[in-house]
Amino acid sequence: MSNLPLLQMRGVGKSYGSNRVLQGFDLSVQAGEIVSLIGPSGSGKTTALRCMNFLESYDEGEIWIDGQLLGYSGPGRSAKDRDSESQIDEVRKPLAMVFQQFNLWPHMTVRENVTAPLVLGKGMNKAEACALADAALARVGLAAKADAYPARLSGGQQQRAGIARALAVNPRLMLLDEPTSALDPELVEEVLLVIKGLAEDGMTMVMVTHEMSFAAQISTQVVFMEAGQIVETGVAPSMFEAPKTERLQRFLQPWFNRSLTPRTEVAG
Amino acid sequence: MEELLKLLPAFGEAMLVTLGVSLAGAAIGLVVGFALNALRLAVSAFNLLYQLYIWLIRGTPFLAQLMVIYFGLPVIGLRLSAIEASILSLGLYSAAYFAELFRSAWGSVPTGQVESARVHGLSRGQTFWHIQAPQALAFALPLLGNQVILTIKESAVTSIITVPELTMAAGRIVSTTFSYVLPYALLVLSYWLLTMAVAMTAEYLGRRATRYLRG
Repeated sequence: MSNLPLLQMRGVGKSYGSNRVLQGFDLSVQAGEIVSLIGPSGSGKTTALRCMNFLESYDEGEIWIDGQLLGYSGPGRSAKDRDSESQIDEVRKPLAMVFQQFNLWPHMTVRENVTAPLVLGKGMNKAEACALADAALARVGLAAKADAYPARLSGGQQQRAGIARALAVNPRLMLLDEPTSALDPELVEEVLLVIKGLAEDGMTMVMVTHEMSFAAQISTQVVFMEAGQIVETGVAPSMFEAPKTERLQRFLQPWFNRSLTPRTEVAG
Repeated sequence: MEELLKLLPAFGEAMLVTLGVSLAGAAIGLVVGFALNALRLAVSAFNLLYQLYIWLIRGTPFLAQLMVIYFGLPVIGLRLSAIEASILSLGLYSAAYFAELFRSAWGSVPTGQVESARVHGLSRGQTFWHIQAPQALAFALPLLGNQVILTIKESAVTSIITVPELTMAAGRIVSTTFSYVLPYALLVLSYWLLTMAVAMTAEYLGRRATRYLRG
């Protein structure tokens, strides 16, 4: 294997009118890495993530996916310089995504949600797609819910179905946009366990998260952002134990305080 | 009672004409309206034409549109029968409203639905047919039924160009028998029966189409 990064972002920026929501964003992700994007709300984490598969267009810099430039072919970055949708689809093929709001298709069963990208997107035959779907659903512990409609599932189950859908397309890089932020506290754990399982199996991931302990535990690289810019990058867990910038110290303080407080064990 | 029985065959016949003309018109309207919305989504340059069409149809009375088609088309050599002209007019008229219903139905599908389809390899066309259309149409069914009802009621106007539908039939009976109450009561009842049938069908189909939301 060459050491060409799976994802390479150089000087990526984006503005809405005069509002610069992202600027000078650099990131390099090698296969097998797990990158966590952290920062306060509105810091541009989600925008950065959504630029990685061109759900948001970027208007400065370069994003390379597996050696291919995403979204543009030339140096121009205005709307008219954008590649055609089919060209963009081709470049983002190695990517899959898990959404904060799951975005399952409600008119399809859980299994159909997983097979649709395979049958429609990849032209796979139904039997083969079903076999892959059932394997992916088993991996996230949802084999028993394959024939249910999403409306019947809990939030945690819906998100696990969303992960199974992303997993089934056999991505080289998975993007996760606050995968547990829409969940009840009780349901967060089951989703984090599934993500941890993927990490242990070597899946390359970029994740926007507010779960600091989790990020500290599984990340190989951590990016802390504020106001559209990277403030500090580092490796976990040292970046959490000894943040260099005063801003990150302040950001992590509440989490520090919480984790230092001894937890009351619930007898059961 | 005897008078009522005498009127029924004429009303039955006229009801079939009303049903035929308005359902054929609504069918054209549905197809053209669907196509207008699909084109608008596929080709951004088409939006202007779309707007123009909606603006033209919505901004003028149906009667005027009917007159232009029935009396105006022969000028360019296209002579339609009263029934043909009525079906075409109702079709073009309702198409604008159906298109707007489809537009709002497509707008009701959350962007996240499209995003998760696009990033997992579904093309624009596949996303339209497999992700947006099933959800949008389920949402739109009761509204579409409502527009069919409006089309049925608007078809009364075609009596002016001598289409032998319900309103025309009732008027003819009134002018020959000079009895007003029974024919007009029957007229109202006939429209009500037709529109109730459409409303109940749309409601039933709408409930069936959104079963998945209840698990």
